[in-house]
Amino acid sequence: MGNTILEALNVRVVGTSQRPFLVLAHGFGTDQSAWQRILPFFTPHYQVVLYDLVCAGSVNPDYFDFGRYTTLDAYVDDLLTILDALRIDRCAYVGHSVSAMIGILAAIRRPDLFSKLILIGASPRFLNDKDYHGGFEQGEIEKVFTAMEANYEAWVNGFAPLAVGADVPAAVREFSRTLFNMRPDISLFVSRTVFHSDLRGLLGLVRVPCCIIQTAKDVSVPASVAAYLKSHLGGRTTVEILNIEGHLPHLSAPALLARVLQRALLSR
Amino acid sequence: MPTPVSVARQCLTEEAASALDDAVSVARRRSHAQTNSLHAVSALLSLPSSPLREACGRAWSVAYSPRLQFKALELSVGVSLDRLPCVKNVEEPPISNSLMAAIKRSQANQKRSPESFHLQQIHSSQQATSLTIKVELKHFLLSILDDPIVSRVFGEAGFRSYDIKLAIVQPAVPPASRLFRSSCPPPIFLCNLMDGGSHFPGSGEDSNENFRRIGEVLGRKSGKNPIIIGMCSKSALESFLDGVESGKQGVLSAGLDRLSTISIENDIGEGVKMSEKFNELSHELRHSSNSGVIVSLGPLTSLIHEDGDAPQQEAARYVVSELTALLKAHKERLWVIGAAESYETFQKFLSQFPDAEKDWDLHLLPITYRSSSSSAQIFSTSKSSLMGSFVPFGGFFSMPTEYATPSSSPFSGSQCDLCNKKCAEEVAALMQDGSSTSVSDRCSTNLPSWLQMSESDSHKPMDVSKKDDRTTLNAKILELQNKWNKVCHSLHNHQPVFNLAIQQARPEVVATDSFNVAADPRKWCSDGSPISGNKCPQVAASIATDLHRISHQEKDRGAHMASQAEQAHMQNISETNQITRIGGLLPSQKLPTYNLLPTHQALPPSITNVGTNLGLGLTTVQSESVPEKTWDGVPVKWRVHGHQGCTQQPLGSPSSSASVLGARLKPPLGDAQQSSPSGYNNFEMYPDPQDFKAIWGSLKGNVGWQDEALCIISQVVSCYKSGSLRRLRFGKDLWMTFLGPDVAGKRRTALALAEIFHDTKRLIYADLSSQKGIRPTCTTCEFHELQACEMLRGKTVVDYIADELRQKPNSVVYLENIDRADPLIQNCLSQALKTGKLKDTYGREFSTRNTIFVATSTVSMDGEVFPSNTESDYSEERVLKSRRWQMQISVESVAAEGRSSKGMAVVVTSQKSSATKRKHSDMDNSSELDRGTGTQRRSDKLSLDLNLPVTDVEEELDDVNTETETSIEDSDSWFKDFLGQVDRNVVFKPYDFKGAAQTFLEEMRITLQSAVGFEVPLEIDDEVMMQIVAAGWQCKEQEAIKWWIRQVMRRGFLEAHQRYKLTADSAVKLASCKGIALEQQAPGVCLPASINLK
Repeated sequence: MGNTILEALNVRVVGTSQRPFLVLAHGFGTDQSAWQRILPFFTPHYQVVLYDLVCAGSVNPDYFDFGRYTTLDAYVDDLLTILDALRIDRCAYVGHSVSAMIGILAAIRRPDLFSKLILIGASPRFLNDKDYHGGFEQGEIEKVFTAMEANYEAWVNGFAPLAVGADVPAAVREFSRTLFNMRPDISLFVSRTVFHSDLRGLLGLVRVPCCIIQTAKDVSVPASVAAYLKSHLGGRTTVEILNIEGHLPHLSAPALLARVLQRALLSR
Repeated sequence: MPTPVSVARQCLTEEAASALDDAVSVARRRSHAQTNSLHAVSALLSLPSSPLREACGRAWSVAYSPRLQFKALELSVGVSLDRLPCVKNVEEPPISNSLMAAIKRSQANQKRSPESFHLQQIHSSQQATSLTIKVELKHFLLSILDDPIVSRVFGEAGFRSYDIKLAIVQPAVPPASRLFRSSCPPPIFLCNLMDGGSHFPGSGEDSNENFRRIGEVLGRKSGKNPIIIGMCSKSALESFLDGVESGKQGVLSAGLDRLSTISIENDIGEGVKMSEKFNELSHELRHSSNSGVIVSLGPLTSLIHEDGDAPQQEAARYVVSELTALLKAHKERLWVIGAAESYETFQKFLSQFPDAEKDWDLHLLPITYRSSSSSAQIFSTSKSSLMGSFVPFGGFFSMPTEYATPSSSPFSGSQCDLCNKKCAEEVAALMQDGSSTSVSDRCSTNLPSWLQMSESDSHKPMDVSKKDDRTTLNAKILELQNKWNKVCHSLHNHQPVFNLAIQQARPEVVATDSFNVAADPRKWCSDGSPISGNKCPQVAASIATDLHRISHQEKDRGAHMASQAEQAHMQNISETNQITRIGGLLPSQKLPTYNLLPTHQALPPSITNVGTNLGLGLTTVQSESVPEKTWDGVPVKWRVHGHQGCTQQPLGSPSSSASVLGARLKPPLGDAQQSSPSGYNNFEMYPDPQDFKAIWGSLKGNVGWQDEALCIISQVVSCYKSGSLRRLRFGKDLWMTFLGPDVAGKRRTALALAEIFHDTKRLIYADLSSQKGIRPTCTTCEFHELQACEMLRGKTVVDYIADELRQKPNSVVYLENIDRADPLIQNCLSQALKTGKLKDTYGREFSTRNTIFVATSTVSMDGEVFPSNTESDYSEERVLKSRRWQMQISVESVAAEGRSSKGMAVVVTSQKSSATKRKHSDMDNSSELDRGTGTQRRSDKLSLDLNLPVTDVEEELDDVNTETETSIEDSDSWFKDFLGQVDRNVVFKPYDFKGAAQTFLEEMRITLQSAVGFEVPLEIDDEVMMQIVAAGWQCKEQEAIKWWIRQVMRRGFLEAHQRYKLTADSAVKLASCKGIALEQQAPGVCLPASINLK
């Protein structure tokens, strides 16, 4: 199983051997290539583990089991299996959007495995609730889903610039590419899973120190969420606000993000 | 001498022979005289499940997407095949010598390889007469890959043939598709959901992941009593209990079935009921035939009580203690399950019942997903529309037919409507089983010829096998779908992949590297190339490619109107075909584009689109051919300019809008032709680059004070131009570093260099120390020529440089603060130094040929920071920071005793408000200024605006410094390494600010005296002085500043004299109006055109 999953999810380990492990996990709509421009900053100091989520466009869609990936726990299983297969006993974890959620869950299950969680654009729950502002109303989400169903390409073309948030054509292009690589039904299914997930009750179980990286303006994650995460996460938590816009800082401002990541990784 | 096919076949096993047959048929179809390795490769790749394809799939490099790479491979194979000469009607093209040699090689290999040794013995014993070894497909493949033509083709597609060989040699790992099969049912796709609607994920509760996980916990030996944590824990618990109660399959694992549930949540706090429940429970545990009981606590909140709520506390205690006792007694058969909304709730529970966790053997189970009916409903409501949009044959599969259950649908919704329809038709035809010709055969008459060709492979097996059992039919349907998917992909719907590809290809067209340019059409040909077929000359094929490529791009523009574009695109393709055919039939000439022009004019107006493409095609073709011609046989010095001229035109044209281009189809052609002479003209206008003196003179005119440095630079540059530079490295670019102080001097020098070679616009500037590459604006030392590279966010500096280099090849790349470069840039530069290619973050490479790289640093080669003149008032940092403000003159009368010596007619007063500068200013007090002016200055300070952003600026800079500090250690060694590798390190010396300041002060004194007529003390604010010095620093010469003093300042003094009637007792003050930007700039210098009078 171990090796098969390494192959199926395109796991790569790059960097300098004998250095600590760093896992870079991409978010919804991207694949590991999203880290491409962050990567050179870390390869001299870490063994960087890259992998694709099973929903990514770069993974054979046959592996996406609609019966299995109904909750985020299946993704957590994947992550832990990968780390076990690589015989990693401790690593720092950088997760973006949905991978941030996965990281939280993984750290709850295996607190010893993670030395630090860095959560980029993380949200424990995207839907609004009483006393909680997640940024989306159920009705809005349904509209989005309907739009995805109706014309995936059009939706991608509309969503990508919105998510990137800034006038960075290269990033928009890159995000559209990876987003469009996803099979539409998988994409829809995963976004349903993500939007109906709710991690709020579990945050207290996290013991691993976390660093929340949030951009000043993010269409998917309102700023209040970062504060919510900080106050509810069980471990020692810091928040870094990047003075840029967009949900994908690793695409839109890689150099800036890399510096912040470096700092976050070094701080104790 | 070619070998007949039948002879070659004898050397091969059946499998390999059939591969060879395919290759022969490819050769025949293309009317090639011989069958060679390329045909074999093409045939092997076209099979859907060929070992070669599979090996390629495993060998793909991570840099590209596999799909893109396959596409590229197919294209490059196609193009290479098109190059082969055609003959008329060869029935069975014989095997070429190279392919035969490959077969022989593989025979030899196989003989040697131990695994086949025994096999071979069997062979030889069986058929002692013939000594030939039957070559297996694997060895056949391996030796074909050795063929240089083949490895080149693979190389062009980004494959390394040894990777592929390795992949072939290594046994394939068991197909990864087994990955999840063992534990889970096969993947569910939307198309096979139709049979049982309840199977739709999320809607059918029996497939709920939450259930599985709860069940897992229950089945464990220890920690078997789950407490479900999460916002949706309550609903998860409820639906789980429902599931257990109703005995649904799959909720609980085997051995745990037949459990009963008891919920006590509602009875907590009602003493009598509670005890009844427990009695019931213990009875059941003792006597029931069930395998166990699950006790549900419900939400833990019901057990948590507020302080002081005695009855509730009592009840909760009772429940807990009872449960503890029961659990002890019936460990095997009793489970407790509860739900907590959040971890905090659970902690509260634990604080009240600290023993519960251990006694009850609890296990926390985070649940994140709402398994409530609401989501199920969402799924079910959306189903119908899902089917419509995602499953291309929704209508077809929903037909009540026994065949309608293929195991999986290989596509996504990425197929276009047209292809879907065609495919559906075809499948339907297959189902009817009446017609032997498929729909695609019929409709193929409407399709471009090349499409027919590519289809014919996949057709054959289908028409041949006509068995009608269900499995083959399904297989056929799948095959059909695959085929159409492929057709669709090659035709219409690969924009996301393709767009990127276009963008990658475009820069290559304008790139100076002639090889890249030449390679470019080759890569993109094969879409269009088969049209050319037998008759079309190669050149026309490459044009066709360009046309085709650009027509894709055209489509890209209209991508938002997807369906519309689809049709237009189809039209485009067929019309493009027309044009290229006509073009192809004409004899190939030096400029085949001429032939195409009239064709275009003859076309009806409805296809102006195509015409536009044609125009684009022309320019690209021109840019390819002309540089190559001028390149050969022209001495080095001409090349630079000639080439520059050539590339300019095509550079602009592709970016202009389509309509404009359509209108001026012809001009680009003419321009491109005349470009080389204009290059020569350019050359005449500038000082002879070979002449050291000319370079030196030109540099010296710009930066008068850096004699030594300029001398070295001039030497290096003239050597570089003449090609006699003794190099440490290989490459046709020049790398220099400017070390030491004098930022402005370095910038000026770089500008001058750019001017010598081309013009100042050909200077690519980037400051590597700042993250965004944007320099603080508004400083006096701003260079207009160094257009502040407003780097877009998301664009790394590397990308910026690469992009600029693409647009402006043969430029001077000026990189400031190289010592502070981040690792990304470091890697990139090191690589560019070594290979002569600059690689951006997308992996695109740009040639650095004829590019001059100038990197600057204030750090010396020994790693020391050059000491800036700290003892002087005018340190470089301070001057750099000076802002461009408006200036104003004010007049004050000074008490007689306040004035000391007549000698100090002009003084500079410092006005530092910030605490950080206090020390410095105190030093000024004691050292330079006499007491008299000191007091005055203090009174002066009252008018200071304390809200000035002086400290802010400093803090910002400090921030940057601390941030970069972390990376400095690593970059140190890299920096030294870099210095060792460049062609020349030039050290600059510090600029003499103090000297300049004294000159200016003297000039001002004279000016004031001449304006007023007698000596009047002049006080100049420190800021103003900085501003003037900074302006002088970045000017070519000090004369400009002196001129400014004589003109602008004099006018100011005269005005002041007129209004205030200056006397010997008055003092003139020159201060800067902070916060007020320059109203108007004096010509030639960055100083105000007029001075305000207060």
